[in-house]
Amino acid sequence: MEDLQKLYDAILTGNAKVSKEVTQQALAAGSDPQALVQKYMIPAMDEVGRRYEANEYFVPELLISARAMKASLELIRPLLAARGAEPAGRVVIGTVKGDLHDIGKNLVAAMLEGAGFEVIDLGVDVPPEKFIAALNEKKANLVAMSALLTTTMNSMKTTIEAFKAAGIRGNIKVMIGGAPVTEKYAEEIGADGYSTNANGAVALARKLVAA
Amino acid sequence: MTPRERWTAIFAGEKPDRIPTDYWATDEVTSRLCKELGCADKEALYTRLNIDGVIHVNPERTVKHFPGDPQADIWGLRRTAIQYGAGSYDEFANHPLADMTTVEELHAYPWPSPDDLDYERFRKELAAAPRHRWVRSGEFEPFLMYCALRGMENAMMDLLVEQEFVDTALEYIFTYHHAVNERIFEIGKGRIDVTYVAEDLGGQTALLFGIPEIRKFILPRQKKMADLARSYGVHIFYHTDGAAFDIIPDLLDVTGIELLNPIQWRCPGMERERLVEAYGRRVIFHGAVDNQFTLPFGTAAEVRQEILDNIRIFSGARWICAPCHNLQPVTPTVNITTMYETIHEFGRM
Repeated sequence: MEDLQKLYDAILTGNAKVSKEVTQQALAAGSDPQALVQKYMIPAMDEVGRRYEANEYFVPELLISARAMKASLELIRPLLAARGAEPAGRVVIGTVKGDLHDIGKNLVAAMLEGAGFEVIDLGVDVPPEKFIAALNEKKANLVAMSALLTTTMNSMKTTIEAFKAAGIRGNIKVMIGGAPVTEKYAEEIGADGYSTNANGAVALARKLVAA
Repeated sequence: MTPRERWTAIFAGEKPDRIPTDYWATDEVTSRLCKELGCADKEALYTRLNIDGVIHVNPERTVKHFPGDPQADIWGLRRTAIQYGAGSYDEFANHPLADMTTVEELHAYPWPSPDDLDYERFRKELAAAPRHRWVRSGEFEPFLMYCALRGMENAMMDLLVEQEFVDTALEYIFTYHHAVNERIFEIGKGRIDVTYVAEDLGGQTALLFGIPEIRKFILPRQKKMADLARSYGVHIFYHTDGAAFDIIPDLLDVTGIELLNPIQWRCPGMERERLVEAYGRRVIFHGAVDNQFTLPFGTAAEVRQEILDNIRIFSGARWICAPCHNLQPVTPTVNITTMYETIHEFGRM
């Protein structure tokens, strides 16, 4: 499997062309898609996250690594689905109503995918009813929402209230993020946790699904 | 002292009679404050709250739209208003460089011309600007413009993987602003006090980009723009959001900044005491009244305490009291008035 170290390296250095090629070759040669994810892709994204936490990587590096990981995952995902492999968890993610700032949300989505979660990305400016519909339809156990602005963060509170009103709050874990979000705020609005960055969001999601 | 005299003194390293103040807010907040405090206009608001605010004067465009697109501005950008309940803000609705793959396409792009501005009107507005306040003219934040034109994620990835492309685009943006600023500094000789040079280099917890990319793509053009301003005796107002501590030495030594805004002191590394100790002798701190927690969500007592803390912490350095970035509609009026009343009451030097 020495050649597959190239997959790890391609994701770590953000080379989407190589990660795609190596994945294609590996699958053609009969490699187990689940093993590619578990042995190379997740460890590579874990290392990307570690380097980000250590101020060795910054947002551009996260973005190119995420792009390389996705290029590979797009080839693998249909194979995993076909054999009914269960993801680490199912996450519905989006920026809340009124907020269009999605670079942080996209990074969290990519890191969660890279960690083996199935991510249902609703995009930006997502109203509570859309979160609820997706949670019900996809049987997701996690919801991740973000807001960049002090003016839009209140939508996270109203969205959680809508989960309660719809009677689904007890079935899901809620994680939040975004520049003005704090642990205190997460507690106040009844979220299950918050993270200041994409790497922390993965650790939090792992913790929440294990709880 | 007049507001002008306070700003002039602090930039000269002299002691003003009191800590100077400044004002940054959305139009919605300014309208609300004027209405609630019975002020006819911004000048009346500044007088009412003892704000040493700076007057912004910039030339209007004579050509308003991109060739062939009446919906777009001169750069080719369309905007759409996003409602969030208490107000709205504009977001870009398109990214005209998003699908480009070659520098040849950049060369073929109809970049705006520095000729398409109304310099005569600018001359008149400058002459009419109040004499008791500082005047700010000229703006330069090229990577922010590049993010709008290219889309933020592409723009950031380009710093690593499409370096010739991003460099070429930044050079076009720089060339435009350099030519515009040269003309307005020439027209405004002796009347323009300060110019705005900016780039958001810090995020909430760390720098957004690696230092090698900042040194390669951002700082050299900032230095050229700052050198141009300095050659006309115009001071540099420098803005970067977020956790930017690690890049401050470069900003001082390469760009040559005199003032750093907005001092988001809750971000890691941006602790006020640390900044004062490291750079208090070399740079004026502007802002430092927290606009993510204290002003929007704190009590008036917490705002007052933050002002008192700032007065104490910055006592060994130079500080201009202002909110960290634009006051937003979510901020209660009482928090805003408390900020300015407290600095007026306790800011005597």
